[in-house]
Order: sequence, then structure tokens, then C-alpha cells
Amino acid sequence: MASNATGGAVDSVLTSATPAATGSGDLGAPLYIAWQVTNECNLACLHCIEESGPGKAFRDELNEAQIFGFLDQVVDRQIPYLSFSGGEPTLHPLFFRMVEYVCARNTQLKIETNGHGLTREKCERLQRLGIKAVQVSLDGASRETFNRMRVRGDFDQAVNGIRNLHAAGVPIEINYSPTLFNVHEIGLAVDLAYELGAYSFYTGRTMYTGNAVKTWHRLAPAEEQYAEFFAILHAKSDEYRGRMRVHFHEMGLLEELRYRLHHPAALLIVLPNGLVKLINALPFVCGDLRRQSLTQIWSNFQTAWQDPRVARFVEDLAADPAKTSSLHQWVYL
Amino acid sequence: MKLAKYAKFRAEKFGGVLFETRSEKVFALNPTGAAIVREIGTGCEESRLIGRMQELFNDSGEAIGPEVVAFLANLRKHGLIED
Repeated sequence: MASNATGGAVDSVLTSATPAATGSGDLGAPLYIAWQVTNECNLACLHCIEESGPGKAFRDELNEAQIFGFLDQVVDRQIPYLSFSGGEPTLHPLFFRMVEYVCARNTQLKIETNGHGLTREKCERLQRLGIKAVQVSLDGASRETFNRMRVRGDFDQAVNGIRNLHAAGVPIEINYSPTLFNVHEIGLAVDLAYELGAYSFYTGRTMYTGNAVKTWHRLAPAEEQYAEFFAILHAKSDEYRGRMRVHFHEMGLLEELRYRLHHPAALLIVLPNGLVKLINALPFVCGDLRRQSLTQIWSNFQTAWQDPRVARFVEDLAADPAKTSSLHQWVYL
Repeated sequence: MKLAKYAKFRAEKFGGVLFETRSEKVFALNPTGAAIVREIGTGCEESRLIGRMQELFNDSGEAIGPEVVAFLANLRKHGLIED
């Protein structure tokens, strides 16, 4: 009865919004869809896990009819939360139409962007449309580190974009990827995020995949640097408690994937061409939105995690962590 | 009383889920909890909620009232409803 009405307040969507976590049977649909709307990007970041960049749009990205057909399914299935990422999602020619479509239908939408195109007018438009949040990548507290990492990027332009969001009243999140040459700035970066008006700050270990495979020798922080990095984050989390949430994942990739094998998040990753991945850090594809409905794909997702190839890949990672370099060689389950 | 701006409810076979998208926290609800949240979503006043639950669950006694009150307090504590 009602005394047990809340089956237990649970953790974040990434750790407990799963059938197992709810403990009461299967969820009928995902709770969160992370859609990489295009692989095109105006920057060519050293660490980009998607290998995005100028001229890197997939040839078979979803067309207009497929896009809005997919969004209709998101609305019909009452998916409460959707994010647009990329590539750089604001470069998609239908970007504002897609935002308008989603926001008008009561699904909460987050945009993950490099912030370079966030003019005052665009930010005001996003605010009027009722966007839930805009997450901007700000990997550094200084021009020197940011510009080194975000090839073709400009620290001042990203910061201006964030200021425009703040002026327009759009909720702001900041994302930070640590590397050998910016890891020491983490404390300053958290302070800067707060100063710019962010309500959340996200970070974790940079992954060995995508562009990072080619640049790893210039990117990978040492374990002792990570130890210091996370110690600072713990302190910053306490410092900003009640003012800005500082989220960070200390877990290494292998540990995280082993956990996910038994507790898959209620999250679908949609690629620009409509393929749906089990999770970003695995090469496995469990559906294709061009050929299957969201309902079919969700059903596949729930069984695909039990496919022995998934567990085998995760365990192979223990012996060979460099296997993450093959995440873009998709394996269809 | 209404669902908070960032709280999204969806019915499920086991009851329902409330997803607080700002904090990205998920709350699983049993059928009674889901029924309460559904009523809140339709605009049911707090003063009428206990009576409505008694009707829905054929509860002629006094049992359900304190549980509804406690549940509402829990929803408020987690920022899932606002007045």
C-alpha cells in the first residue's frame, strides 16, 4: 500500500533507473535517450570519442521524415528525457525545428554543445522554447589548455556562449574531460563553472577511444594525477553543496562495464544514422531506427545485455584495455 | 499542488516511475504511489486526495490517510511536487 509507495528513492538514471533497480518488473520504455544527431562538428578535439569533426557527418544520417518519425515515437512512449549531442548538434540544419518539436510535446530536452555557436539570440530562443538545460564542454580554466585540446576551438568563444546562456536564463551544465595538460586546472574549472552560473558540473576519466586513440600519448593523465584530480573534486563537491552539483565518476571503465552487465541503465544511445548502441563504451548495436520501432529496439536492448558476446568483450577488456579503440567497429546483436 | 516542473511521471506495469530530470534521479512507485501521482497530475486537491484514494482502493477504514500524508511529505522532500 501507500506506505511502500516509493519503492525507495534511488540514485541517478545511470546507476539505478533499471528494471533491476525498480525491483517490480520491466520498464516499458527507456527513461532517457541520448541522441547524437549528427557527427558533423566545427571543432576537431584531440579526445573526441565520436571521431567527429569538420566534414565528418555520416553519409547515412537520418533524414527529415526519419527524424520526426523517431521523435513521434519518443513522445508516444512517454520518454521523459532526451538529449541532443553530436558532433555539434546545433550545426544540424533542422536543429531548432527538432528542439521546438520536442519541447512543445512535454519531453525534457538537454543540448550538449561546444558552445561556440551560442549567440545571444539563439540562447533567448532556447529559453523561450523551454529547454531543460544546455551542457557546454569546457575542458580547461584557461585559454592555453582549452585551445590546445579543442582544435579549432576558442576558450573565449565558449565562455561567451555560456554567458549568453546565463543572461537568457537557460539552465547550464558544464562538462570537463581531464587530460595530461588540463588535469591540474580542475579546481579552477569548477570555480569558473560556478562563476558562469552553472548548476551542474560533470567529469570523469577520459576514454581511450575515437580520436583519443591517436593522441593518447599526449592526453592520458597518470594515475597519481587522477588521484589528485578526484581528491579535489571531492573537496569541491563539499564546497559547492547546495549551490552547484559536482558529479564525477571515479570508476574505471572496466569496473563500470562489469556493473552495467548486471545493471544496465534505462538509456538508449542513438547514433546519427539511427543505429542504437547498448552503451557508448561498447561496440554493440541492438537496433536500427530506420527499420525497427522504438518498442522493438527497447525489447532487444533488454535481452542484448545477456548476449554472451557482451560479457566476453568486457572480460577481454581486462586483459587488453586497448580494445576500446575498436568501439566504432559496430557489432550487431 | 502539482508535479514539479522537472518531475515526469510514467505508468508502468508495476506502478510507475517518477523521473526528476534536473537531478536525474528516478523513483519507482508501486500501484498506490502511482495512483496518487496520477491524481496529482489531474489536478486533484490535497484535501480531496485521501478520499479519492479511499474510493480507488475501497478502503473504508482510517489506514490510508496517514500513508497518503507521509507519501506526499516524501514527494515534497525530494522536490517532486510543488504548491
